[in-house]
Amino acid sequence: MEDPVVILDAVSASYEGERIATLHDVTMHVREAERVAIVGPNGAGKTTLLEVINGLLPFTAGEVCVFGRPVARDGHRLRARIAYMAQELFFPPSTPFLVRDVVMAALYAQMGPLRWPSRDDRTRVNGAMAMVGISMLAGRPIGRLSGGQQRKVLLARALAQGSRLLLLDEPTANLDPDAKLEVARIVREVERELAATALVVSHEGGPLLDDAERLVRIEAGRITHDGQMAELRGDLIATGV
Amino acid sequence: MFGLPWHIVLPTLLGSLLAGVLCSVMGTLVVRMNLSSLGFAMSHAAFAGAALGLMLSFAEPLWLAIAFSIATAAVLGPLADLSRMNTDTVVGAIFPLTMALGLVFLNKAPSSGIGSGALALLWGSVLGITMGQVTTLAAVLAAVVLILIAFGKEFFALLLDRKLAQASGINTRAVLYAVLFMVAVVVAVSMRVTGGLLIYALMILPASAAFQWAYDIKKIFVLAPALGIVASLGGFLLSFGMDLPIGSSIALCAAAIFLLSTAISPKRRRVG
Repeated sequence: MEDPVVILDAVSASYEGERIATLHDVTMHVREAERVAIVGPNGAGKTTLLEVINGLLPFTAGEVCVFGRPVARDGHRLRARIAYMAQELFFPPSTPFLVRDVVMAALYAQMGPLRWPSRDDRTRVNGAMAMVGISMLAGRPIGRLSGGQQRKVLLARALAQGSRLLLLDEPTANLDPDAKLEVARIVREVERELAATALVVSHEGGPLLDDAERLVRIEAGRITHDGQMAELRGDLIATGV
Repeated sequence: MFGLPWHIVLPTLLGSLLAGVLCSVMGTLVVRMNLSSLGFAMSHAAFAGAALGLMLSFAEPLWLAIAFSIATAAVLGPLADLSRMNTDTVVGAIFPLTMALGLVFLNKAPSSGIGSGALALLWGSVLGITMGQVTTLAAVLAAVVLILIAFGKEFFALLLDRKLAQASGINTRAVLYAVLFMVAVVVAVSMRVTGGLLIYALMILPASAAFQWAYDIKKIFVLAPALGIVASLGGFLLSFGMDLPIGSSIALCAAAIFLLSTAISPKRRRVG
């Protein structure tokens, strides 16, 4: 059996100044090409879990490995291979970057220092934008796009990056029903194209969670449910998820 | 030209233009990163260093100005990280310290240094610029351009969004510290032109004006120094034509460019 893509082993984490840990003794393994829905009430620790996995938040106990490498040691290099869609990220209208440059910026860390984008890099970026259906927006300023379009740009970054691990934090928050379906379709396409593993955080349900094979529920920083979606769905509906 | 000998006019003109380009290029980084008070704090750190040079009767206080600016840059980044406060807030906290030190040093300076030397530090004395100082400005400009070309994509990633850059594997802390050090050196070497009090104008105004014209950061990096050149050249001509201090003249031109750009910016236009 292949090694898990993500391993959390007895992980605890807290934000600076917090007396109470935001994550307590969390253990979970995520297999390749698995889609895991992470649900729970506000403040349960869902975003913290994603930030610990990509090394943006240092953990205080336990061990986190991604692609078999410890996040605590190899954070920068690993983050170049992880696509992370932050919950609150929205580009204001004055943002002075064009869509194609925002997508290209996802590749910068992979390129390493003293190298500018090559023709291959541009081909990757154009291909990713075409797959997500935003080629016609390439020359538009990112801040002039709608929330749904901006989400698509972030998904194009993930695709261009070739990331085999997607960490999506509320990817369909504040989107209308059509845009939610469209984002869900693109995520499915990215997963299929890259055989990618996806951890999707949401507190509102929707098509992205419906497609998940596995569902993890977090409450007060602890995993309270972890199992196959089909098995858990009935229990969770009964408990109010 | 204006009856002045070229051996004075040429270094003056070159110094103004080089400072205009340098400050507005760094200003583009500073404005986009919401570190507008950085230029202000660095100029006062440089002012404190140069004032110490006057107090100690150094022949060339520029090196102490650079040393003070770099020391401030070295303190700012780690202090912002340690305090978990916005870098701009920490800059605001450092500024009174450097200003107070500058005034203390000036107060203790020999009386001969206080007159022209102190005024040159505060308001600039571009007419006193030597070709050696012009060469220093040109060398710093070459270094800044080389750094921006070599690490441009890391700077661009940070300018797009710091958290996104960090999440995609960029070492954002190293890039931020690099910006602080570059601003420190640029402010210190450019201070001779506009003076410590007005260098902020040359750093912030052309860059802010450039942001009014374009949505593409690459174009802004070209437009900002172009506007910096216009401000410097305009200030130079205004200064000689109306017998005004050159630092103030450059600042007035830069402010006019900013106000005009804001007023007629294509970003304000509405369709229909």
